[in-house]
Amino acid sequence: MIDHYDWAGGREAMLRFGPDTGPVVVAALPLFEEANRTRAFVVTILRALADRGIASALPDLPGQGESLVPTQEVTLRDWQQAFGAAAASLGNPHTVAIRGGALITPGARRKSSWIFAPVDGSALVRDLQRARQITQPKAPLLMDLATTAPAGTRTEAAGIGLSVDLLHLLVHAIPDRATPNRLTRLESDPEEANAKFPGAPLWRRAEPDNDPALAELLADDIAAWVRACEG
Amino acid sequence: MELQRQDYDQVENTVRAVLRDVLGLSEARAAAFDESTPLFGALPELDSLAVAGVLTEIEDRLGILIEDDEVDGEMLESFGALTRFAATKALG
Repeated sequence: MIDHYDWAGGREAMLRFGPDTGPVVVAALPLFEEANRTRAFVVTILRALADRGIASALPDLPGQGESLVPTQEVTLRDWQQAFGAAAASLGNPHTVAIRGGALITPGARRKSSWIFAPVDGSALVRDLQRARQITQPKAPLLMDLATTAPAGTRTEAAGIGLSVDLLHLLVHAIPDRATPNRLTRLESDPEEANAKFPGAPLWRRAEPDNDPALAELLADDIAAWVRACEG
Repeated sequence: MELQRQDYDQVENTVRAVLRDVLGLSEARAAAFDESTPLFGALPELDSLAVAGVLTEIEDRLGILIEDDEVDGEMLESFGALTRFAATKALG
């Protein structure tokens, strides 16, 4: 079902899945191009959660997905505020965040935080910089723009419009550390985690892809976590 | 010497797995890559955005840091060249 939520900057769409009662999960997609590559995968996870009797919501963030707001006009704070408003419209939900989504969830009042393959904001800026370097080798470094360019300056990387204000906050952003917090990763990721799962990093694929087997495993883990937090 | 060979093979397997995972190649296609298999410019899946993804994923899995000025056409020329670059970084 397509629902909506209102935040200080306007109204955005929000997909809803599962039953009308019981615990609710609100999901934060990865950021930038990674959101497009993983959207179908996240929807598969949320449908699998619905099969397990858990309701969920997937809000569009301003400047992402179907949003009418241009990406150059949003900052990390807008995303956190918008996500916080979406979460508040659902009561006191549990958050599920993938990759850069874990930089957005700290804006929300939430009962617990479940995270998959989180990434620091500085690493996302580095990815953008690398893509920019291959297509525009002589353009100034995004890291430098983030610290030296005047507020309101706009730039782009790999076809994505960006404001310097967004970069400025993003380079310092770290993943959600709310408690209770469950941290999960892919088996190929050497960093520590509460649990690891087999699969490929779909957020890096040039073409959007899905992994229903991994989605089922993650949905099992989220469902068990949410029920444990609900007591 | 024996140990070095094992370490090199491990790096090669990691690079192969990264190309398979990031580019969405089949197991059989990735397994067929050898020293001389051409990459950038030869694999349609490997565009400039995908190059960024491949390099970052190699960094994460091998725990290395690739400087931006080290990224050039030569290291991406073939599977062997990319593996040698990664092995030099990872094994010192």
